[in-house]
Amino acid sequence: MADPTLAQDAGAHTRAATPRPRRTRSPLASVALHGTLGLAVLVALFPIVWVVLSSLKPGYAIQSSEITLFVEPSFDNYVHVLTETSFPRWFLNSAVVAAFTMVIGITMSASAGYAMSRFNFPGRRGLMWVFLVTQMFPVAILIVPIYTIMANLGLIDTKLSLIIAYCTVAVPFCAWMMRGYFDTIPKELDEAAALDGLGPFATFYRVVLPLARPGLAVTAFYTFLTAWGEVAYAIAFIQTDENLTLGAGLQQFVPRFNPQWDSLTAGAVLITVPAALVFFFAQKHLVAGLTAGGTKG
Amino acid sequence: MSTSTSSSVTFSGATRIYPGSDRPAVDALDLHIEAGEFLVLVGPSGCGKSTSLRMLAGLEEVDAGQILIGDRDVTHLRPKDRDIAMVFQNYALYPHMTVAENMGFALKIAGVDKATVRKQVEEAAAILDLADYLDRKPKALSGGQRQRVAMGRAIVRQPSVFCMDEPLSNLDAKLRVSTRTQIASLQRRLGTTTVYVTHDQVEAMTMGDRVAVLKDGLLQQVDTPLGLYEKPANAFVAGFIGSPAMNLGTFSVVDGHARIGDGLVPLPRSTVEAVGAAGQVQVGFRPEALLPASEGDPGSFAVQALVVEELGSDAFLYGDLVGDDLRADHVVVRLPPRGVPQKGETVWFTVEPGGLHAFDVETGAALPTH
Amino acid sequence: MTLSSTPGPTPDHAQPAPSRGGRLRRSFDRHWYAWAMVLPTVVVLAVLIGFPLVQGIWQSFTDLNESNQRSEVCTKTLGGGETCKPNPDAAKFVGLDNYVDVVTGERGRFWLWFTNTVVWTFACVSFHYLLGLGLAVMLNRPMRGRGLYRVLLILPWAVPGFVAAFAWRFLFNENFGLFNSLLTTVGLDPVDWFSHRWTSLFTAITTNIWMGVPFMMVAILGGLQSINADLYEAAEMDGASAWQRFRHITLPGLRPISATVILLGTIWTFNMFPVIFFVTGGQPAGESEILVTGAFRAAFEGVRNYSLAATYGVLILSLLLVFAATYRRALRSQGEVW
Repeated sequence: MADPTLAQDAGAHTRAATPRPRRTRSPLASVALHGTLGLAVLVALFPIVWVVLSSLKPGYAIQSSEITLFVEPSFDNYVHVLTETSFPRWFLNSAVVAAFTMVIGITMSASAGYAMSRFNFPGRRGLMWVFLVTQMFPVAILIVPIYTIMANLGLIDTKLSLIIAYCTVAVPFCAWMMRGYFDTIPKELDEAAALDGLGPFATFYRVVLPLARPGLAVTAFYTFLTAWGEVAYAIAFIQTDENLTLGAGLQQFVPRFNPQWDSLTAGAVLITVPAALVFFFAQKHLVAGLTAGGTKG
Repeated sequence: MSTSTSSSVTFSGATRIYPGSDRPAVDALDLHIEAGEFLVLVGPSGCGKSTSLRMLAGLEEVDAGQILIGDRDVTHLRPKDRDIAMVFQNYALYPHMTVAENMGFALKIAGVDKATVRKQVEEAAAILDLADYLDRKPKALSGGQRQRVAMGRAIVRQPSVFCMDEPLSNLDAKLRVSTRTQIASLQRRLGTTTVYVTHDQVEAMTMGDRVAVLKDGLLQQVDTPLGLYEKPANAFVAGFIGSPAMNLGTFSVVDGHARIGDGLVPLPRSTVEAVGAAGQVQVGFRPEALLPASEGDPGSFAVQALVVEELGSDAFLYGDLVGDDLRADHVVVRLPPRGVPQKGETVWFTVEPGGLHAFDVETGAALPTH
Repeated sequence: MTLSSTPGPTPDHAQPAPSRGGRLRRSFDRHWYAWAMVLPTVVVLAVLIGFPLVQGIWQSFTDLNESNQRSEVCTKTLGGGETCKPNPDAAKFVGLDNYVDVVTGERGRFWLWFTNTVVWTFACVSFHYLLGLGLAVMLNRPMRGRGLYRVLLILPWAVPGFVAAFAWRFLFNENFGLFNSLLTTVGLDPVDWFSHRWTSLFTAITTNIWMGVPFMMVAILGGLQSINADLYEAAEMDGASAWQRFRHITLPGLRPISATVILLGTIWTFNMFPVIFFVTGGQPAGESEILVTGAFRAAFEGVRNYSLAATYGVLILSLLLVFAATYRRALRSQGEVW
């Protein structure tokens, strides 16, 4: 604790280790660097772009083997999906499920992460390993027993069943990540708060959480993505069209032998937009938030 | 700013054993601090000084013994119930709050009304020269200003005890010296009992009414700064207090003399008696307790100069004992600044009367020298 | 204790010896809020993962399936009541039969799926890591447009898994997918991607690499930023070339984060369900299944066979536990604290 700036930059990441530009890059190296990154960006974007382009084409053109960027571009597919299917309903359901998963997931993982970061309570080490083991037991295999449990709790065909299931998927990793982030916030702040008269919960809520924004942003992003567009649990637990979420609902466009590619492409784009928005808000925190968790085992 | 009612602090057999360790970090500490006193806990790193302070603040468990503030047993009270404020080494300012919010936070938590909080914060800010910065976030402040905010946060609460954990160690050397005096005078003005932890013996000597020296979790000596300097209770305190450090070495005792290098330095009768049959004694003399002498003077010994540091006001000579019979580190001698010996030269010194300290070879405890 | 120049009042030192109950009480007093904070998570995990896990271990030693899960057979009597008898066909304990059946290939194609899983996991994780590392190192240099590159490169992460799977399936479509169209345009024969085991796996691996690189890249980027810049300057003063700096500073500096993400990546990829399920669907004829998807089909298509599913679940968990233990030991032996 020799660095006085720690108190101020609590939680902020360690000074960026970017080597200072001591000499300018040679033009060739510059071209190589930008060329490689450009290529990588192309690979990262082109499946998305291709689906977007396809979604603007009429159905017959999507299923043509000719390569074309635009064929009679129109929003017909979107109109169809939004007005003639239950898509808006699914979308709303997904939004509700994802929002609650996010809120509950953040609450659970932040408080568990805080306890693991700050309190040396009996069972702490074991808990870390339990979290890891939960990641090892295959979700696909868990669906049936979890279905049984949900059925016994009377939660089948409810959004709550999905929210709970998604939390079990996302929370162990998020808690572990939050713990790493809390570890970067000086413990003295908690001690100062204790002397100032705050109890452990108030310290957590009023002093530590406001400083953990990057960690929380990553957790929000992660929990949202876990819930948004998940398929397996959604198909298993939800039985009425009214309660379907996007991931499950869209499977209706994929009948065994005749996928409706036009509706699928439009649906896929519509699903990706909110995820991209959440990503956009979280992205500047991703590096700091995620790695704090990673550098500590 | 009204002065608070300050309280005495008593450690009574206070012990802290960290889980997984069998050696206590603080071992049965007995220490009484008067109301209004400025007590400095000093020692090398790992000596238990910070742990002792944190036990007082309630941030560390007390495994055995008791801690009293005034007559109140606070051993198992929570920090907030102890009426204590603390200044942390890294200041621990809340980064998301302004200076004013930082300073007033404890009062706000305690439910003090806004106007009173504001008034007290402004008073404290005036004392610490922070009035212009009240609406800034800590990030926008210099190191010295942050340090003052941390002080301000402590004094706003008017606690009965201040705990300070190396509050100056993150300041640069010059600022450290000026802040040192500010803190000391502020404390005298407020009259609040203060327990101050540092590893820097100069800070300890200049700030404390009394200084407690710790080593390996054990209290070595508590006394006024001058008392520690002149009458160290053992070889550790002798070596720790004072800069440059006291020269300490183990030498054979021959006919009532300590054989230092080639020279024979006479020992007081009481010392010789205390050494008894052991035949060896640990002798210490401060760099300023050596007087230049000539070869052959009674009680003189020879030092070969290795390095001479000239500071303008003084000069320090670092050298080896000539004819060293037992291990002793370099000898340091303070000299007047003019006419210092050259490197490699051999110089003779005697120890000035009363400048000799003697310690038991086994225990390090001080032996009588009168 | 040596001395105290002004001895204060000396209260009684003797502490009452803490009784066992007293110690528990103090432990509770000290830790209750920590426990309270982890409690919700622990309860949910215990109910939804711990309980099925324990249940699954037990079920894997029985022949439980959808048709024999009742322990009693009840028949309506004339008076409107019911009489129940123990079900003569109820699930019973079968010892290790399930495991023997699975491992010998009696039911399902364990070894094929296992090989696929190993190939799949190894290929995905190594490409994730190497591409993530390469991109992170490039992104960590000061240059124009760095922020934009970063956002665009992380973007695939934000695409929901099954949408990504769908998009790639669409690209690999044998009749009108972009890849085959490109191949025909340049005069090559289109590839029947999903007609061969390895091309089919290739499509899935490609998809998963595309999906997983951003996570690795972000994690490694953070790892790079936590390496002290002074080290690079010191190494440069020592005359280290760019490669040597990478080799001796960057890579060692990334070890903690690498250890973590490789372990997590392996576990996640091993159990990655949607990509295989939606991209290849196991085509051709189940030859591109990995263990999870294969087990899912074997156990849940047709009459749901709970005991078989449980057996696979326990096997997969055991494999990963063995891997994690080996991995941890390997890291330990290299001095990494984990």
